[in-house]
Amino acid sequence: MRIGVIGLILSPTFSFLEMMWRICPALAVGCTVVVLVPPGSPTPLLLAQLAGELGSFPGILNVINGPASLGPILASQPGVQKVTFCGAVEEGRVLRRTLAGQGAELGLALGAESLLVLTEAADVDSAVEGVVDAAWSDRSAGGLRLLIQESVWDETMRRLQERMARLRGGRGLDGAVDMGARGAAAHDLAQRYVREAQSQGAQVFQAGDVPSVSPFFPPTLVSDLPPASPCTQAEVPWPVVVASPFRTAKEALAVANGTPRGGSASVWSERLGQALELGYGLRVGTVWINAHGLRHPEVPTGGCKESGSSWHGGPDGLYEYLRPSGTPARLPSLSENLNYDTFGLAVPLTLPSGPEIGPSPAAPYGLFIGGRFQAPGARSSRCIQDSKGNLQAYVAEGGAKDIRGAVEAAHQAAPGWVSQPPGARASLLWALASALERRESAFTSALERHGVELKTAKVEVELSARRLRAWGARAQAQGHLLQVAELRGPVLRLREPLGVLAIVCPDEWPLLAFASLLAAALAHGNAVVLVPSGVCPIPALEVCQDMATLLPAGLVNVVTGDRDHLTRCLALHQDVQALWYFGSAQGSQFVEWASAGNLKPVWVNRGRPRAWDQEAQGAGPELGLRAARTKALWLPMGD
Amino acid sequence: MGGRIPTRGSRRGQRARGQRARGQRAGGGGQRARGAEGPGAEVAGPAPRGTGAGRARRSRGGGTQEGLGGGELGVEEPATAAVARAMSARNLGTELDLSWISKIQVNQPAVLRRAEQIQARRMVKKEWQAAWLLKAVTFIDLTTLSGDDTSSNVQRLCYKAKYPIREDLLKALNVHDKGLTTAAVCVYPARVCDAVKALKAAGSTIPVASVATGFPAGQTHLKTRLEEIRLAVEDGATEIDVVINRTLVLTGQWEALYDEIRQFRKACGEAHLKTILATGELGSLTNVYKASMIAMMAGSDFIKTSTGKETVNATFPVAIVMLRAIRDFFWKTGNKIGFKPAGGIRSAKDSLAWLSLIKEELGDEWLTPELFRIGASTLLSDIERQIYHHVTGRYAAYHDLPMS
Repeated sequence: MRIGVIGLILSPTFSFLEMMWRICPALAVGCTVVVLVPPGSPTPLLLAQLAGELGSFPGILNVINGPASLGPILASQPGVQKVTFCGAVEEGRVLRRTLAGQGAELGLALGAESLLVLTEAADVDSAVEGVVDAAWSDRSAGGLRLLIQESVWDETMRRLQERMARLRGGRGLDGAVDMGARGAAAHDLAQRYVREAQSQGAQVFQAGDVPSVSPFFPPTLVSDLPPASPCTQAEVPWPVVVASPFRTAKEALAVANGTPRGGSASVWSERLGQALELGYGLRVGTVWINAHGLRHPEVPTGGCKESGSSWHGGPDGLYEYLRPSGTPARLPSLSENLNYDTFGLAVPLTLPSGPEIGPSPAAPYGLFIGGRFQAPGARSSRCIQDSKGNLQAYVAEGGAKDIRGAVEAAHQAAPGWVSQPPGARASLLWALASALERRESAFTSALERHGVELKTAKVEVELSARRLRAWGARAQAQGHLLQVAELRGPVLRLREPLGVLAIVCPDEWPLLAFASLLAAALAHGNAVVLVPSGVCPIPALEVCQDMATLLPAGLVNVVTGDRDHLTRCLALHQDVQALWYFGSAQGSQFVEWASAGNLKPVWVNRGRPRAWDQEAQGAGPELGLRAARTKALWLPMGD
Repeated sequence: MGGRIPTRGSRRGQRARGQRARGQRAGGGGQRARGAEGPGAEVAGPAPRGTGAGRARRSRGGGTQEGLGGGELGVEEPATAAVARAMSARNLGTELDLSWISKIQVNQPAVLRRAEQIQARRMVKKEWQAAWLLKAVTFIDLTTLSGDDTSSNVQRLCYKAKYPIREDLLKALNVHDKGLTTAAVCVYPARVCDAVKALKAAGSTIPVASVATGFPAGQTHLKTRLEEIRLAVEDGATEIDVVINRTLVLTGQWEALYDEIRQFRKACGEAHLKTILATGELGSLTNVYKASMIAMMAGSDFIKTSTGKETVNATFPVAIVMLRAIRDFFWKTGNKIGFKPAGGIRSAKDSLAWLSLIKEELGDEWLTPELFRIGASTLLSDIERQIYHHVTGRYAAYHDLPMS
């Protein structure tokens, strides 16, 4: 089902083409669009005029020329259901914070830096052309980080410098130029970056036949930048290339994945095995093998990490503007007085309300971290009452340190789980489902004590086992092949795990929601940190007993305790790659606000309950879409 | 890697910028810099002669479109003189070093993309186009390689080589006194005598090139192939286009290939050796690179794409690979080897793309008849047609232009 009105906010560095990439799918699925473009860009206005002259649908495309400060105003208009922002990372962060709790969903496409890995098995001359495509042409999105294998460093640098001298810059109407200009702001940005790099000890090489006046900036090659200097961390502006050496493919992966950005990358190697190893290993949205900058409407293009998670092209580009049918439109749930600094900061004191009689009914449950139950760092417990208000059990009171431990354990388990073949993942999920069925009576009684009717409890357990099985089956086939008209060779649309996924489960359906979310996350290869239902965490902890024997240690970690506090810890954790939150409206707002830290994708319910027993909401494609990220791997062929 | 700290471009580039600034002051007006200078901006001929004329023209052409491109610059020096001078500087070749070709990788899809870009990103129009086309004329090896060649059509060809463009058109462009000719004529060995005689009769020093060594297949005995070269040289050919033995390439016998070309080189004596790689039959671009490198090591003065008789002839991807090999050879040895695409280059527009390809991949130094030739038979008439259109504003009828 289409989302509705789309707001599109473009920063000055994004081109007209970028706008078209996003408008077209939105219009195609039936959404209408309001575009905010920076002042002084008349082309989008002309386009809107053309759209208006089409007659029957005068309002489908609207363009506003205005400063960036209008962005939040556009986004907070009632009726705007989704806002896509294209621009700098920091602006995106600010917008993410501003829009926390607002009605519109936010899609971010941030930064434009790209990466090129040049191995010694590459066709160096062609790779140099790749660098030109990536950084020194009008088709290039932004600056380039260039990783060159040490053994071909000298040769590559010589060829690069030779090639740079032949580049021509000038006005776009001149029929023989490689690169034009992108405004005074872009010029100043590049200038500043180059000056800083120089002052930090880098070598700067500039060449090319480019007018020496602003806004024209010559092609620039920066090398010997000290690894720890601020420029190494900062985003490289257009048209600058920052080159650094690497020794082995493994090291290249470590360096490449060591930046917060995850836009696009290309790998240059004639050795198929090496190229694929690097292509699969790079944590970015698009990888080209022996090419750079290829694009096609049928291929999803987007990013991960701090490059944001807005996609265009292919099925993913359409999903951006669709929502599962049956789900209601998003409404703002803004609470003005939510204090982000103190939300969930401390664990509220939870003394048992009633008189505590005798010893506890059973030994308290610990936290399930690293494959076993552990005592919480704070050494305290909270009591769980059944539906009649009687004390049912004690569960551990987890805190920040426990979250840290759980995320660490999950990170250690993640590579092993990813490398498992889908079949192995499926069989483990099926084994878990069987274990659930074997102990059906225990789960049913645990649920019953929380006031669930016997019949409903039975259904819940049964449905939970079925969900685990269903996701196990879906783990089999991930990713598929795309055929692109102009390209010889395939494009792979891969579905890769997010990494460590944190899930705060809803209070309702304590077992079913837990199992549904867990199954979807595991099937897609994620390692998980879960916060189970606050009211009724016992069934989830019971499942942990089975997981302790079945699943690899650390793959699933369950932390009980005060949900607000744990949510805060997870949302502010920089090394959690995604967060799903099902709880209060305030909690949702906080999660959205806090996710600006590492721009992790978040999925929040804004205090609205979900029908977990319904197939569409409890096991629908939405979970699958959110549990993994897309990567497009281009494999041009020819000899 | 010698990063120069904030210098900008080469000294040549700075000079060009200076000129541009002057041009802008002089031109004034809101004229847009459409097609400004194009690829030919600094196609300075080897000697700075004739720059006076160039300057005068430049200020007259005016506008912001200075740097009028290489047209008149390229023909400042009669092509024949340039070639004659080049005769003395021949490639002596090097020892066979297989490490130069062992590690090479050529990625075909990437080269194809580059080839597409080079055709799209360098467009020259108007007088710059005319200048470029005149320059292209000076690179042409005007060729006839047919079974039905006789002395009469060879004679006609030679006359056309001497007077490639109608005199009145050249006058209109003010280049009639530059001695514009094609770079050479190219015929079968048996027609060399006819060509030499015809050119002498026309009072021209345009060199005669002859194909040899079992052209076009190369599938004859080495002995007869060598003899063919000697006979052609005896008859007065000063440039020999030899075909390589494709069998040796496809079976990877690089030493044998090197030895054969070495012998060709010796048989040529003082004559120029152009080695035809017949790239359409080499199987892959990697083989094209390797064969190019071997041919240069063995002492070829030119490497040439194809005979014109294969199913696939001169294409841009192949040319890019060969030009990169030439550049690598230059970097390794300091020897500049020439390049000659041949076969399938028929339109004036194509010839412009070839010129910009050379300029982009190798640089302006290669844009001289000593280092760049186009093997073609019908290209010249299309160029003449374009020049006609440029001068008169009309499209020429068939009978407006002399036959070749």
